[in-house]
Amino acid sequence: MNVRWDDAVDSTLVRSSVTPAVPSWRDGDGLANDVRVHVQLFGALASMAIERAPNLVVPKPATLGNVVTALGERLGGAFLARVVDETGVKHRYCRLFVAGVPIEDLRTPIDADSIEIEMILLNASEGG
Amino acid sequence: MNMINVVSTDPRPTDDVWIPSSCSVCYGTCSILAHRVDGVVVKIEGNPESAVGKGRLCGKGVSGIMTHYDPNRLTRPLRRTNPKKGLSEDPRWQEISWDEALDEISAVLRKVRAEDPRKLVVQRTTTVTASRVLFQTFAAAFGTPNLSTSGGGLHCGNGAHLISGIMHASWSIVPDFEYCNYAIFFGASKGHAAGHASCSNMGKAADARARGMKMVVVDPICNFAAAKATEWVPLRVGTDAALALAMCNIMVNELGIYDGPYLQAKTNAPYLIGPDKLYVRHPESKQPLVWDTRSNNAHPFTEVAAADMALEGEFTVDGKRCRPSFHCLRDHLRKFTPEWAEKISTIGAATIRRLAKEFGTEARVGSTIVIEGVTLPYRPVAAIAFRGSQGHLNSLYNFYAVDLLNHLVGAADVVGSCLGFNPASHGHPDTGKLRYIPSADPDGLMVSGMWMGYHYPYPPSEPRLPTNIGMQDLFVLGMISPFLDSTDREEMWERFDFPYRPEVMVNFGANLLMSIANKEAVAASLANYKFMVSFDLFLTETSNFADIVLPDCSYLQSLDSRSNFPFLFNLPAGMGEWCWPIRQPLLPPDGEQRQCADVLLEIADRVGFRADLNAAYNASLNMQAPHRLDRETRYSYAQICDAELKNNFGPERGLDWFKEHGLIKWKKKPEEVYWRPFVDVRVPIYWEFMLPIGAKIAAIAEPRGLKIPMEYYEPMPDFLPCVSHCCQKPDFDFYAFYYRDVVHTNSFTMENPWLDEAARLDPFSYTVAINAAEARKRSLHDGQLVWIESEAGRKVKGRLKLTEAVHPEGLGIAAMCGHWSDGMPVAKGKGVFFNELLELDWEHVSPANMSLDLCAKVRVVPVEVAS
Repeated sequence: MNVRWDDAVDSTLVRSSVTPAVPSWRDGDGLANDVRVHVQLFGALASMAIERAPNLVVPKPATLGNVVTALGERLGGAFLARVVDETGVKHRYCRLFVAGVPIEDLRTPIDADSIEIEMILLNASEGG
Repeated sequence: MNMINVVSTDPRPTDDVWIPSSCSVCYGTCSILAHRVDGVVVKIEGNPESAVGKGRLCGKGVSGIMTHYDPNRLTRPLRRTNPKKGLSEDPRWQEISWDEALDEISAVLRKVRAEDPRKLVVQRTTTVTASRVLFQTFAAAFGTPNLSTSGGGLHCGNGAHLISGIMHASWSIVPDFEYCNYAIFFGASKGHAAGHASCSNMGKAADARARGMKMVVVDPICNFAAAKATEWVPLRVGTDAALALAMCNIMVNELGIYDGPYLQAKTNAPYLIGPDKLYVRHPESKQPLVWDTRSNNAHPFTEVAAADMALEGEFTVDGKRCRPSFHCLRDHLRKFTPEWAEKISTIGAATIRRLAKEFGTEARVGSTIVIEGVTLPYRPVAAIAFRGSQGHLNSLYNFYAVDLLNHLVGAADVVGSCLGFNPASHGHPDTGKLRYIPSADPDGLMVSGMWMGYHYPYPPSEPRLPTNIGMQDLFVLGMISPFLDSTDREEMWERFDFPYRPEVMVNFGANLLMSIANKEAVAASLANYKFMVSFDLFLTETSNFADIVLPDCSYLQSLDSRSNFPFLFNLPAGMGEWCWPIRQPLLPPDGEQRQCADVLLEIADRVGFRADLNAAYNASLNMQAPHRLDRETRYSYAQICDAELKNNFGPERGLDWFKEHGLIKWKKKPEEVYWRPFVDVRVPIYWEFMLPIGAKIAAIAEPRGLKIPMEYYEPMPDFLPCVSHCCQKPDFDFYAFYYRDVVHTNSFTMENPWLDEAARLDPFSYTVAINAAEARKRSLHDGQLVWIESEAGRKVKGRLKLTEAVHPEGLGIAAMCGHWSDGMPVAKGKGVFFNELLELDWEHVSPANMSLDLCAKVRVVPVEVAS
């Protein structure tokens, strides 16, 4: 008997991963065609940035990637390199929370007039 | 038995309770029940309610009482008054108040943080698993990337964890003891009283042996694992890859045993490889191509049914000759004949052939089994490696070669096979939290769903001009770095134009002077710090280099909300239960001892980065509303623990609930434990990604005068010799190596009087194991005092123990003994300090994953002759 690996089991037993949606809220003060972004930087990102809590305005439709790009333009290439790799994918060790929800994929669209983002780098070394 | 409801650390004189908590005498972190009578812990046992240990506790765990009640424990903060730091310098300690200590520490940290936060190095012991979050968050909030775990990781993790992560999405690997019929261990002791989930695995391994599982242990020494095995196969130190590769060759090329459907569906075996050794990719999508046997053409791997993917053959795609990577591997393996491997490993060719045949046959390729109503692939064999085989310059290929045995026969994370420790979790059934599952990258290769840190083993980061003093940002396959302390560290930092130097160290319990390599090298590094603060239980050799020493609480006085998380570190693999225990304080601090977690919070407050630390906790613990820490609120560690527990298990299950119950558990499902068939990911049997990484590292390093040996960046494993294998000096005819003693944890437990007594009763713990026949040839006798001298001229003294149970060329030394600190009087002068024989420089470090070479070619000279 030569059972196929992809026949041996019912793959529907495992749900695909869940990507949280970016929380959205409308405060009534937003510009119709823009997203107002309040960024809070912590740890090394705050140390290397000229502003610890920059405010940005990003045109709609926007993704988190657009926000990070705008942040890079504001704070410089060295800052951006700590957040994303050469292909624009967020480093896993850069943790990004939108209104308290962790987001990994920068392609996540922003459906809001304003958002607050927290960013921090977590280090890697482990042992044992 | 009276189980206590809500624990008070202010015990009344009449109490008599058993309190659930977690051990911390080693990183196995088994669940315990501590019996407290009239305010004194009188006994510690395993907690049968917990999946972590399953009620079993090793000799170290039951002896933890003696560490806690050791009269040599620190009880007051100390400041050194002798500004000179050195191995023979007396720090001339002076007791100071906590306020004085914290004022001084905060002033230093404030200044450094303003200048350049990277000047701070944060270092911790791996023995206290829960300290991972404390120091990860502290370092992240402070803004330094320079975080280390001393010898932990550098000795046992840079190969094992990297490859377990890439191939099994887990920190480590273990046989599926319930169903495995044939396990072969390469320098590993999982299931034999050491390592991750140690007590649980001991029980599982014993049951498996009683059930009839055949266990073969390949190791230079026959001790904890080999002594209980069906067969011990002694090999020359550090040559595991030679044996494993020869076995792979026999299975694939002589016996034709491999799991074709697994290789097609779950690995990159069908991916086409061009003459440049790289994937042949689709010109637009850039996906790796496979050869579709149905259409007789090349297509992206996502567009071809696995069963139609060619594993062998030569094809032409866009004018390029190419072959599936399995074909490349099969050809590559041909040179590893058993006769060749015999010369390298000293294991007879006939034995190698037999082992390969046994492993391949027992794998039962193609079979299935039904577990709880789910039909699953059944491969009851496992090849397991850990510290012994990977503590070498060649650790990466050693481990890769061993694990290939599993993947060739599809024995990876299915019933009976080699399992990662819990790589897939569907989360807690009530909250859905703690859910993680491996996923695929654009090349279809597996990315772990969970990791210890956020620097995942795959895909590797892009190498860049390093700014971390350990240079892990250049050597991206490395985890723990030797370059914090190496003799050539300054040369390295100059070579790469480092804009800063480390100036301050915050150390938690790590005794790096003993746990890394020769003490002179590490002492020179430590003496260079302008300021060092160390949280310690005792005055260790390393704390004697500190400016301020802070008296830490023991594990019987400490709180931790996640003593065993992530599950891929310490929860036993296989069917059973998910289990989240906590550690809770059973006893109050003695004198002015304080738990380091709260001290770190206070330091952050004094220095002025409380908001950063709260944000770091939110990030590290994945806190979500309404449990996220507020930016500016000052929290105690107990409040943070409470928030984390509610975040994961619901508002009704906070710290008070856990103090009462000790743990929470829920049942594992077959599709979690045996996740591999359910998740559409592949693992690389051909490490194509190594080539570009090596090229990029070389492009950065070689213009700066650091030659990168590209043989370490080949996509298929090879045997690469250690420095010791190349020694040509006459009379240097032994390979010295160390092993983890079953009664000791790193250099920590020699101070425990019960464990010291056990070690003194053990003929091997404090001696040097030498092959009896080889000793007699040299007129050496049992109990003889000898110098063991490395080819570099380093030497240690020890007494010989003659035995048949060590390879003729091996000298086995237990653990990290040989303390010299007056602060650990029980430990002082006991055993042999093996690490003194180790060099700490680029020549002895893997240029791929930064593993330190932990073997040394030595000669044995009787002390009376030498004198």
